[in-house]
Amino acid sequence: MSKGFASTPRIALLAVLILLVFGGIGARLVWLHVLDRDELLRYVEKARRQILVQTARRGDILDTHGAILATSRSLIVLGVDPQSLVPADEKKWPQLAGLLGMPLAQLREILTTKTRASQHAAQPASPAGAAAAAETGPDAGSAKLNFWGTAAADLKAAARSDDDTVLDDADAQGNRPIRWAKLSDTVGESAYADITRLNVRGVYGERVYRRDYPHNDMAAHVVGYVNRDEKPVTGIERFAEFYLRGQDGWVESEKDGRREELAQFRTRDVPPSDGYSVVLSIDAEVQHIAEAELAEIAAKYQPAKATIIVSDPRTGFILGLANYPSFDLNQYNKLPADEQGAMRNTAVADMYEPGSVFKIVAVSGALQEGLVTPSTTFDCNLDKIDYRGLTRSLPRDDDHFDHRLSVAEIIEHSSNRGAAQMGMMLGDRKFYDYARAFGFGQPTGFPVGGEVGGVLTPPEKWDGLTITRMPTGYSVDVTVLQMNQAMETIASGGVLLRPQIVREIRDQTGETVYRFGRSDVRRVVSEQTARTMAHLLTGVVSADGTAPGAAIPGYEVAGKTGTVRKIIDHQYSDNHHVASFIGFFPASRPQVVISVVVDDADAHTPGGIAWGRVVAAPSFKHIGEQLIPYLDITPPMERPVGTGLAMEENHP
Amino acid sequence: MQKHSNSAFVNQMLVGVLVVIGTCGSVGLGMVGIRHQISILANENKAIEARTAAVERRCTETSAAIAAEQDPSILMQRNDVWHLALGPARAEQVQRVDEDPVMRMASKHNRGLFDTGATPVTFRIAAQP
Repeated sequence: MSKGFASTPRIALLAVLILLVFGGIGARLVWLHVLDRDELLRYVEKARRQILVQTARRGDILDTHGAILATSRSLIVLGVDPQSLVPADEKKWPQLAGLLGMPLAQLREILTTKTRASQHAAQPASPAGAAAAAETGPDAGSAKLNFWGTAAADLKAAARSDDDTVLDDADAQGNRPIRWAKLSDTVGESAYADITRLNVRGVYGERVYRRDYPHNDMAAHVVGYVNRDEKPVTGIERFAEFYLRGQDGWVESEKDGRREELAQFRTRDVPPSDGYSVVLSIDAEVQHIAEAELAEIAAKYQPAKATIIVSDPRTGFILGLANYPSFDLNQYNKLPADEQGAMRNTAVADMYEPGSVFKIVAVSGALQEGLVTPSTTFDCNLDKIDYRGLTRSLPRDDDHFDHRLSVAEIIEHSSNRGAAQMGMMLGDRKFYDYARAFGFGQPTGFPVGGEVGGVLTPPEKWDGLTITRMPTGYSVDVTVLQMNQAMETIASGGVLLRPQIVREIRDQTGETVYRFGRSDVRRVVSEQTARTMAHLLTGVVSADGTAPGAAIPGYEVAGKTGTVRKIIDHQYSDNHHVASFIGFFPASRPQVVISVVVDDADAHTPGGIAWGRVVAAPSFKHIGEQLIPYLDITPPMERPVGTGLAMEENHP
Repeated sequence: MQKHSNSAFVNQMLVGVLVVIGTCGSVGLGMVGIRHQISILANENKAIEARTAAVERRCTETSAAIAAEQDPSILMQRNDVWHLALGPARAEQVQRVDEDPVMRMASKHNRGLFDTGATPVTFRIAAQP
């Protein structure tokens, strides 16, 4: 460096320049921090840190084979800011109306209504929500979508109201400008993509998850539904809420002046954890068979209500549970007030007197205690009988018998007097204990439907006739599920199984988190007794039995009919009955239990009395025949004989 | 260079200042560049996440649509409308096989190969006059 370069004038000039530069910087700082402070603060306020909620997707409800019974679909709540519309887009309105499936006149009215009188103005869901809607629209240009969902709760709330107005901008007449008017809240992804391409300024949407039930009314009473506030109301939706709900995530970040997130300034990013899927034991095909059969019963007999349950006696899992009447899960809010009863899960929430099906308790108890054998006989023509020092009248039988009936014949002919005598042989306390052991008078633990426990009065409160009536299925109230469970106890070899509906819990990747298995409650009768009972119950579907119409050719069917008079105006009616047939097959190796209970089908039944053998037994058979190929139920006695070909291996 | 004169000191100071300014400027520019790259990367990640979410939403929507179309009542309706005459198998249509199906198929095939019952074939032969 030469000495000349650092001459005094040059140093002075350089110093002046440096001072000017620093002076300029200082002046700019003063400008920014003092003079322009307010404007900059407003900008900073807009660009301040924010927390964005990332909504978790609710898990699916699947049938046992993975078919979707309930899922969460992403829908777009589409709205418009009428203040942001531009005349140039008016030619696109017909296309927009077409995509929305809305009459053009209706769309035009929404788009051209720019203000709302204050007295009619809808309150904004929240100021933040309204502001978000107001600010997002104009900046977005068209169909702007914020994936992360700015203030999702506000927009959900906004979606519920049809329009939002800005309260601060009322004009002299009190009219307030509308900054959000809902166009549709059911726009699908593909339709939304088309709307986005249409590029109508001021039209924008927000994604929300909505519950969808692809099978509409299938297993409606089991699946349940979620209301518009995403709150589970009934069914598995409510029971398994803990698993299904998922956990919302959140992002702590900053946004720019256009409310766009500045991703580079994310400081916290907690991803949402979607809900688990719940796999039911319900088989959609079995459920459909049951519901189709109910539809036939409804069309033919027009009953007050009816229920069909199909379960697996090896595990206690419910394969199908259908009630009539039912309802569409996607239209639950459109059910008329006088039809709200259709939402009731009558299989577990309603009680009825089971009638003759309940005889399995007295007979099983007497067999288990060794008081009778299948060949023990009873005089079933007796009107009265002495019991504990008092003469008790026996219930009426529909038939007169010319000989003493064996236990097998009592079951076969469904003799009330025979069952009553076996109940009396057991005694009050023992009979009651067996009824309790079979699961009556207490909830089964079924998780959905508002289950009731039925009514089984303890012996201390019985009157003189109860011991003669209860063994025949009167003076006791049960649910259809309880009765199915009791018959399942016979089919399972004497073990009371807890009826279960949830088979698995799966995480988001489809991995099984928890698997439910067979749950034994208690042993009620020995395996030998259960086997004997199953054999006795096969007589019911024999030619001499009460329900030959339930017999399935080639298969041993065990079951019991029930026809019970209903109490109308405080007395038993001769014109209103509950008809039932509950049974299982194959009797020696049960694979399926089917319960068919039809309430008050008398009016449309030939003869005017809805007998179990007429109304319910044929349905049992029809369902059973359809289940044989589907569930691959093999007749236990059949074994194909080898053809003796040279290539064949000898199988034992 | 004269180390003890004022001019020499100023020269050194100027050089030092320039070096510092140059270094700081380079570091600053580098930082700005890095921040810009971070910003681009973050926004790309965000866009990828958005695309992934969009694909998942489409999958969900498609799955729901498929499930709705697989509803037994819908399938039966289609069966009627399209006159397919499809129906569930009945018990009497099912032949139960209690043996190894592979061996069964093999034996059936071999039975055809080694079947000795040949189909009779006749030829008309005209005698020469």
